[in-house]
Parts: sequence; C-alpha cells; structure tokens
Amino acid sequence: MSQFCGRTRREMLWQTGGAFTGLALTGMLSRDGFFNAAAASEARSYVSPLAAKKPMIPAKAKAVIFLFMYGGPSHIDTFDEKPKMVGMDGKTVEVKTFGRGGHKNQGRIVEPRWKFKNYGQCGKRVSDLFPNVGQCVDDIAFVHSMYADSPIHGSAMLMMNSGKLLSGSPCMGSWVTYGLGSENENLPGFVVMLDKTGGPISGPKNWSSGYMPASYQGVTLKASGTPIFDLAPPPGVTREQQRQLLDRLKEKNDEHMKSRADNSELAARIASYELAFKMQQHAPEAVDFSKESKQTLELYGIEGPTKDRTADFGRKCLLARRLVERGVRFVQIYSGGAHNDDNWDAHSDMERNHNKHAGNTDLPIAGLLKDLKRQGLLDSTIVIWGGEFGRQPTAEYAQGSGRDHNSYAFTMWLAGGGIKGGVSVGETDELGSMPVGDKFHVKNLHATVLSQMGLDPNKLSYFYGGLDQKLVGVEGADPIKGII
Amino acid sequence: MFRRSLLALLVLTPFASSADPKPTFTAEQVKFYTDSVSPILKANCLKCHGDNPKKLKGEFDLRTRAAVLKGGESGTGAVPRKPKESLLVQAVAHTKKGYEMPPGNKLKPDEISTITKWVELGLPVPPDALGEATAEHPKKKEPTPEQKAYWAYQPVKRPTPPGGGHPVDAFLDAKLATKNLTPGSIADKATLVRRAYYDLTGLPPTPEQIDAYVNDADPKAWEKLIDTLLASPQYGEKWGRYWLDVVRFAETNGYERDGPKANAWRYRDYVIRSFNTDKPYNRFVQEQIAGDELPKAHPDDSDPVVATGYYRLGVWDDEPADPLQSKFDGYDDIVSITGQAFLGMTLNCARCHDHKGDPLFAEDYYKMVAFFRDIREHSNDRNLKTSSNQTDITPFEQRKLYEKDLAERQERTVELTKQIVAIEDEAIKKMPAEDQRASEGVDRPLVVKKVPMFLDEAKKKQYSGLKRQVEDLKRKPSPHQELALSVNNCDPTPPATFVNVRGNPHANGAEVKPGFPEVLGFTEPTIPPATKGAKSSGRRTVLANWLTDPKNPLTARVMMNRIWQWHFGKGLVPTANDFGKLGEQPTHPELLDWLAAEFVDGGWTLKRMHKLMMTSSAYRRSSAAIASNMKADPANTYLWRFNMRRLTAEEVRDSILAASGELNLSKLGGPSMYPKLSAEVLAGISHTDKKAHWPDSPKDEQNRRSVYAFVKRSIQVPLLVNHDQADPDNSCPVRYTTTVPTQALGMLNGEFTNEQAELLAKRLAKDAGPDVAKQVARGIRLTTGRVPDSAEVAKDVAFIDALRTKHTLSEAKAMQQYTLLLLNANEFVYVD
Repeated sequence: MSQFCGRTRREMLWQTGGAFTGLALTGMLSRDGFFNAAAASEARSYVSPLAAKKPMIPAKAKAVIFLFMYGGPSHIDTFDEKPKMVGMDGKTVEVKTFGRGGHKNQGRIVEPRWKFKNYGQCGKRVSDLFPNVGQCVDDIAFVHSMYADSPIHGSAMLMMNSGKLLSGSPCMGSWVTYGLGSENENLPGFVVMLDKTGGPISGPKNWSSGYMPASYQGVTLKASGTPIFDLAPPPGVTREQQRQLLDRLKEKNDEHMKSRADNSELAARIASYELAFKMQQHAPEAVDFSKESKQTLELYGIEGPTKDRTADFGRKCLLARRLVERGVRFVQIYSGGAHNDDNWDAHSDMERNHNKHAGNTDLPIAGLLKDLKRQGLLDSTIVIWGGEFGRQPTAEYAQGSGRDHNSYAFTMWLAGGGIKGGVSVGETDELGSMPVGDKFHVKNLHATVLSQMGLDPNKLSYFYGGLDQKLVGVEGADPIKGII
Repeated sequence: MFRRSLLALLVLTPFASSADPKPTFTAEQVKFYTDSVSPILKANCLKCHGDNPKKLKGEFDLRTRAAVLKGGESGTGAVPRKPKESLLVQAVAHTKKGYEMPPGNKLKPDEISTITKWVELGLPVPPDALGEATAEHPKKKEPTPEQKAYWAYQPVKRPTPPGGGHPVDAFLDAKLATKNLTPGSIADKATLVRRAYYDLTGLPPTPEQIDAYVNDADPKAWEKLIDTLLASPQYGEKWGRYWLDVVRFAETNGYERDGPKANAWRYRDYVIRSFNTDKPYNRFVQEQIAGDELPKAHPDDSDPVVATGYYRLGVWDDEPADPLQSKFDGYDDIVSITGQAFLGMTLNCARCHDHKGDPLFAEDYYKMVAFFRDIREHSNDRNLKTSSNQTDITPFEQRKLYEKDLAERQERTVELTKQIVAIEDEAIKKMPAEDQRASEGVDRPLVVKKVPMFLDEAKKKQYSGLKRQVEDLKRKPSPHQELALSVNNCDPTPPATFVNVRGNPHANGAEVKPGFPEVLGFTEPTIPPATKGAKSSGRRTVLANWLTDPKNPLTARVMMNRIWQWHFGKGLVPTANDFGKLGEQPTHPELLDWLAAEFVDGGWTLKRMHKLMMTSSAYRRSSAAIASNMKADPANTYLWRFNMRRLTAEEVRDSILAASGELNLSKLGGPSMYPKLSAEVLAGISHTDKKAHWPDSPKDEQNRRSVYAFVKRSIQVPLLVNHDQADPDNSCPVRYTTTVPTQALGMLNGEFTNEQAELLAKRLAKDAGPDVAKQVARGIRLTTGRVPDSAEVAKDVAFIDALRTKHTLSEAKAMQQYTLLLLNANEFVYVD
C-alpha cells in the first residue's frame, strides 16, 4: 500500500540482490513501471507495505520483544556480580569513568547493595533484585561486555534504538518490519508500550522510521482501555453506524475510482478503511485478558500479592505475548519514563531507585519468559532486556549511593528465538567499569537480532542520501556468536 | 637477545628504508615473525585486513610487509624500527584516539609488545611475505576524463526545442512520438482549476472561484488564473513549505531537552516571503549561504541575516558524548544539506571515504567543510555580543525605543549592583583577613563566591534575589528588540581544516583549503583576507558566488528539476537531491537544460518558470489512463498524462479547515501555533510539564495553515505525520505517499476531523438552508468542487435517512456523520 509516489526504484527497493520477493514488492514495482501492464494489473489490488515477506536467510525467530529498561540499570547490581567490591564501600579508587558528570579518573566505590545467589542448572549468579528472572537463567544468554558510544541519555537512547547517535534514522523495529513485514494485517507490525510516567527522552524519535516511510514507524499501544490512538469511534458512534458510513464511503470511492481504475493508490486507500475497521475489532480483543486464566494473570503479577506494583508492567508483558501470538513482529516495552527516578536513572539513591523498578518488573518479566516457553512461543521469539547503558562502580556525588552512567561496559540479556540459554559472554573488570577481553557494541546486538530474524545485518539496507544505509552502519557488524 | 640483533640491524643497515625493495632478515628474525607475529595477525587482524583482499577495511592490507608499509586510507602503516611513529603500533597499543584496533578487543599486553618488537626489528618477514614494493604515497586522486564527462557536470547549453509551439511541449512531444505514446487530451476546466489552486496555493478553490474560471470565456483565462494565484500570499505558504522540506526546517534541537531554536519562525517567514516576492533564486541562495556577509538592500533589510537561519535548523546535541565529533557532525549536517539542496550532490558520502558512485573524494568534502569553518557551533548563549546563532535585527526606528529600554535597564542594573556590592562588602568584613585582603584585588570574584556563607537567611535571600534580577535584566529580550536565528559572531580567521581520516575528527590527515569539488573543473578560489573588525571570514561569500555563478552546471538544473517535480509529481531527474550516478538519470535531459538556461537567462525568477510550465499542454492534460500507453509506459515516465496525486499532509489539514469554513488565512507569518494534541499523544514525551512543551494555541491560531504549526522534533501532530509530513532530521526531497490503516483511524475517529465535520455540517445548514438534499449538494461541492447529479444526492440523502431511522440519530448528528464521510472520501484527498 506504500506507493512511493515519485520515489526511485533504488530508493524503494531492498538492496539485497533480489533476496526478497513477496507481494509488497510486486505492488511497488508495478507502480514504478517495472513490470508490464498485465503483471501490473495483477498487483493492482491492495498490498500492504507490512505484508509478510520471506526472510533473507534462514530465520530462527519470528518476533522480538524488547524490554527497554530506560535510564540505564546498573549491571553490577543485577547480573554482573563483582565479589571483589564487597567490603570496599566508600574507598576511593583510581578508575576512569565517563558519564553525565564528564570524565573522571577516580571515585568513591559504591558497593553493590544486593546479594547474589546461584540460579538454575547453569548456576548463574543473579542479585536479589531479580529473584524471579533468576529462575529463568537457563533460558537466558547474558552479554556482560556491551558498550555504546555515548553515556548521555538522549544520544544513547537513539543509539540503542536506531544504531546512531544522531537523530533521524529508522529504529530496529522499523528495520525488522521493513525487512519482514508483519504476519497480522489487523494489527500494527511494530508496537511500543510506554511507561505510565511518560515517554522516554526524545519521545517518538525512539520509534521513528526516520528516512523510511511512515508505515514502518512504531505505533504506541496501551495495555488497557483503547489500545491504539483513535481506535475507538467517538462517544455516541456505534460500530454498526460506522459500518453504515463505511459502506456508503466505499460506494462513493468505488464510483470515483471507476474512471481511475489504474490508480492502485485509490484502491489502497479504500482497503485501508476496511483494515481500520477490522483493527477496531482485533486490537481490543488483543488487550482483552478476560479469557486468560487466573494462574496466567498471577504469573505476570497482574493478580496476586504484588499486583499493586507489578500489574502495570505485567499487563504490558502479557499483551506482548498476545501480540506475538497474533503475528506482531516487534514489541517494545518501556520500564521507566520521563526523567530522573521515574526511570532507572539512579543518580542519588541506588536502593530506592532499583528496588522500585526491579520490584515492578521482575515478576512480570519472569512471567513472560515462562509463559512464552510453555506456549511454545519462546523458540520463535527473542526477548531482549537492557537499557541504553549501565552504571558506574563509583558514586556520582560526595554523598549518597547514586551511580553515574557507564557506556563503556554494561549487561544486556537475550532469551529465546534461537539464543542459547544458560550462557554468559563477555567480562568486565573487578569493578564492572570496563570490559575485559571480547566486548560487544550495540551494533553487534542489533546484528544478532536481525540475523536471528532471518535478515542479514550487513545486507539489509535502504538507499537514502546517496548511501545504502544499514541499521549496523556502513561498516557493518557481526552477530554475537557466543550466544547463538 | 632481540635487543642485540636490533642494534646490529641498526648499525649495519642504518639507511634501509621502506622504499628498500629487498630488505634481508636473519633466520632468527623470520622465525620470530612466523612463530610470534603471524599468529597474532591471523587471529586478530587478517579478518578485515587481508583475508578478503577485495574488502580490505580502510584499504589496509596486513598480508605482506610492503602492504603494511604502504598502509591504507590513514597513510603509512608502519615505519621500520620506529614503533612510536608506526600507526600499526599506535593502533594496537591504543595510543592514538580513533584508531583503536582491533575494534572492541584490545590485544593482550604481551601481544602488543610482540607487534612493537616486530616493528623495532624492521618488520622482518619470510621472503614470500615481502610483497611488492610500492610507492609510499598514493598519487593525488583525480577524476578520470570519463568521470568528468558525466552529463551533470557539463555546462548548461541551451538546446533548441525540437519543434514549434510551447517549448516544454516541443521537448515532451518529441519524446512521446519516439516512444509511440499518445498524448492525453486536455482536462476539463473544472479539473484544471482545482489542479491549479492546489498546485499553487495548496488550497481547494471555493465553488465561486471554480465558477469564475469555468465561465470565463477569455482565451487568456488560464494565464490570468495562474497570475492571480501566483500573486496570492497563499502561493508562498504552499511553495515555501517545499523548500522547508529540503532544508530540514524544525524549531527545536532534538535530544533530551529538545530545546527551542528561538526565532526559527523568522526563517520560515523569510522563505515564504521570498517565494511571494519572487526573489531571484540566485539571491535566495546567496542570502542563505552568506547573508551575514552580504550588503543590505536598505538599512532595515533583515532578509539576508534571517536567511542564514538555514545553518541552524539541524539537530543539535547540547551534551555530546564526544564534543569534537559533535562539532564535525554539525559541519556534516551543513555540507550534506548544502550539497544536496543546491547541487544535487551527495557530498556527505565522501566524509569517511571517497564517494562510492561519484568522483567525489574526501578532499572535496573537507574543502567544502573549510568554507563553513568560520561558523561557530550552535549554543544556548543568548548574549548578542557572543552568541553564535542570534542576531539583533531590530529596525532602526524601533531600535530607538529599544535603546531607551536598554538605557533604563542599564540604570536599573547599576542600582541593583550597588545593593549587591553593599551586601558583599558587609559579608567580606566578616571573612578571614586573607580573604578581605584578596577581595581588594583581582581575586574579588573568588572571594565573592563565599559571600552567602557569611549571610543570615534573610540577607542570603535578598542577595540571591538581587543577583537573579540582574541576570534577568541581562537575559530578557526587550519587547522592542527583534532577534533572528542566524549565524553570528563567526570566526574571521577560522582554524585550519584537515581531511578527517575515515571521517574521524580525532585523526587529522592532510590540510585542505576552501575549494570546489575537483570534478567540476573550477579554478580553486582565493579567499580575500578578512577586513578589520569583520565578524566572519568571507569564505561563504565566495561559495555563494560560485553556487550562483551561471557557469555552475548544477545549481540551476537542480532547482528547475525541483520546480518541475513539485508541479508534475516527479522530477525530470527523479532523485532531486542526487544528480550523481547512484541517483536516477534524467528522462528528458534536453528539456532540463532548456529550463535551466531559460531560468538563468530570465534572471533566476521562479514565477515566470511556474507559468511557463503550467501553460504547457503537458501540464493541462487529463490524468485519465489510455490503454495503449499503459502497456508501454505505465509509470507515465514520458508524461503522456498528468499525474494524479494525494494531498500533502498540510493540504489535508488545510482542506478540512477550508471545507468547514474555519481556515484562518488572515494572519501571515509570525510565531508558530500549536494544534491541539490529545493527552495520549502528549504522554509519549518525556517532559512532565507537557503544556510547557506544547501549549494549545487559541482556536483562531490553531486554524491557521499547517505551515505555521510548530515543528518540534520530539512531538509530532498525528494527522500530519500519518500523511507523510517531512521528517525534519534530514533533507526531504520527495514526500512519500503511504497508506496505512492508522491514517483511516485518525480521519474517522480523531477529535480534529470530528470537530471539523460538526462545523462543516453547521456550515451546510447555514449555506443551503434546511433542505437536506441541498445541504448534501453543497457538501459535495465544497469538498470536491463538483456539482453532483441528482442520483448521487439521492443516495447520500438515503444514507443520512438511514442513520436517522436505523440508528436513531438526530438530524444534526446524522449530518455530522455525513460530513465526516465527505472528509474521508478519496475524492476529497486526491487531485486529478
């Protein structure tokens, strides 16, 4: 349905040596005179830009759920244990740090505030912040030596989402839906659920399609009430009434199209109203949890003793599973929004901040992993956990336990979708300040996700501004081999 | 042991150099390479630097000694026996920023010392790894004669139209004939008038305007219509928006704070005004590139300086992770836009490496950067004496008021300062003797910092209050003062510019001077020395003059192609920002050249060119399909018919307001307005105080044209963004036309369309009286321009009746549903 009016072939075609076939491509080619009229007339009917496309390479996964811990969770307080820091609280050490407070050469150690325990068969040690996620470690691959190019939220968020520090590029969800489309045309292919306190810094830039068409941008979804903006008819308008309106609208549009039958854009627009009508039915159904068992609701913390804290994130996680089940390609859920302690940005008091955010999310995340697994969906769904960076081993201010940002080293974890379970790759030094040995850039994470999804990260490209643009940049990046 | 042999080598062959084609090494040295060095290279380096000789990263090959010495893009890879000067060692030891290798994984300390030793030894290798000796420095890169012969780099020569009549048609018809395509018939007058209004003003004609044209029997009626529309202020509002797309216009900086670009709206108004006054395009270019350096047409002529807001529209990170990188990202933004907007050149591709498709080298890119090096980085500094981006443009008469203002302010500041000093002196008296003493000299500011510690609470409050007042006086703009987003306080003697190796600003290569892309074959410019007291370097004037030199092969072609594209839907070169080899080739090169020549010869004025294009038969053709042509040219490449199009995002919103009668055309320009956004949309932003970032404007302000809607990088108006509004982070040469269900949801269920539908329903009752059939007929007329036949009206009336009977809606509600339907119809949002 994306017509790319006036666009060039180069700008609309995948630069993949014809690895892609599929309806959307046919539709676009016909518009641009690639095919003869007979072929064009076959492709004239409605073709969604989000129609499912074949992967470029064998795919392990079909969907992604990115649990974005916005603000930057501390790796050394969660999954990257630093036993040598125990007992060092308050000691001043020489350590190079670079955060919001600039470059520093020494600092006062803030000892991790939580104890670590062994979990699972693999014996992975996880802090008391995540006792429930701890139970899932045999399905999780931890990457402890992640690094990013910026320790500042604004640019680091853009990097984690779009691979670039500079604003204006498409996000990972856009790339995935551009490459693969979506399997359910009644729902958006790329959805984003925000924290109740607000969106992250830069707002829609974090789910923007940048220089790609708007059809690949993320659609914000709510896990209760009316899930999609403008989904419900205004008060007083019934579905039957709207059907009547759409019927007459279609008649009028058909009449208008009679003498313009060659214009597939008009057909696309007619079809889009029918799709919207179907979406009105299917989207609320996706957020209708009434058929979910009590046990499931408890699994996600929507019901049960912790529900006051966990129900909000739990609903989003459950909705993510339901969306993936329905063929949605990319779901991103934010834990934390707005500024300061509304998210994981623990600059003043580690305990207050991380107890709050981990406490709100630990059970729902574990619930999601367990539920996906028992439904047989984990094999085909990649779950990603992490923030835009990690946190420093030392205190940011003279007082308090707050930590500044650390983009030199942090932990992210992945599960499902062909990712190995019970493994940890990469290491950091005794303080968790720098990686030791192999380290992995955000681009390697992106490359891992794309290749598991059946998209060659170094070939999936979009021609813009004179360049074949890629999520992993012109220089390219390899997947993290140790976890796949 | 190695140490000893190293010394021996030094003594024995002190002059052996990298140019030495046949160095000899001892067996021991060779063994050192084979046993110790080679495994490290194999395990860590060769993947990118040798295993795939066709894809060497940085063109650096580590397989042979000669190749290592020769180096890659970053120059010589190693200097035998001089590890400290060897890039290879610097890279693995991480002693040179930007060259840290291998990426992501530093070698172990013993591995680094092995590599260092290897270089110390003069890079011994077995004979089979010596490689062929090559020249140390690659030759200066030059475009080949073949590359220089590319069509876009040739001077524009005015071709003779291949036939009589309208020159545009002569070129197009000749092509149609060779392709055996039948030109379509001329569209009817009702179609043409709607096409012309939307094309030139972005608004639908009123029924009265349609009738006036349709009933005008004057053979010159079409030309008269074009003249009228070109003379209306709505022309600039429509066409200015096209230019704003190209130059990534936005009013905030993006990133965490997404702070405002104060007075950006003046640039928007400048663009609109320039189109409306038919400012010659060469002047328009010169003002944007070097307006601050150009003489003013009259003392109060603020256009040139406002035009330099051009440089300030891009994203700006106020807390960059790497300030130097960010600074050069800023230059990259300017070079990218300047190259693409004016020259159709993707110079940006040559930032990190030579261009992959065009003969544009890294030197060309950095020569262009050098033109802009006097522009200082964007900042939040609002002090006009130092600000890099705000200029006082207060008109002379108003300045008198403002100066009175300033004098008053000055007086008030003196008074407040006296009070401040008094409090300080009092506090200083309580300080230790050394501080008291220091306070008498130049160190007083240091001492003053301690003052609050020596004040009681009440005094402390008074003191900080006074200081704040002084700050406010300094910062607050006078109500009479007018400021423009612009460049200001540029550097008259800019620092040297270097090629950044692999685009890395931390890695300087050769120095470059301001200059033009080599392939275009112009003599390199001489920059006149900056005059005393100059606030800029004068380099940009040189660039501006070159861009608008009639001999420049690209400027006029690129702009004519844009104008063509904006009229016909597709450029003669479909890639309007890229006239290079990776872009598309022109479908009608002679026509493009003829237009470019005509444009320049006619004094670079645009309105003349609009009229020229619009009076062609090609422009007036029907958009209907012709079966035989559909087979041969379904994409209408050769323009046998006119391209039907969807309204742009702004046109959709403006047309809805026009239909409901709410559109406010009376206010031209001025600060932007904020269309109402729902709480759901505002929830997407991070700021807690949503209203501070998006205050709803009063209704009549909101009802202004969409070109006046505030462009905030982190908040988008759903109706506009869903209809493919330009993304402001990059240059947008062509808008997409995407169709997705969320558009339909917004149009059907959105608050804006429903409100407007209600107002349209009221208007119909007012315009047509109580008769529903008459209201329906009026509704169709207002939303499509068409007079409906009775059958259509009857069906619509039946629909309204059904809503009333089947769904028990009131007459008003039923009519509102009908008007909502009208606003959703394809015919409303498509123009033939």
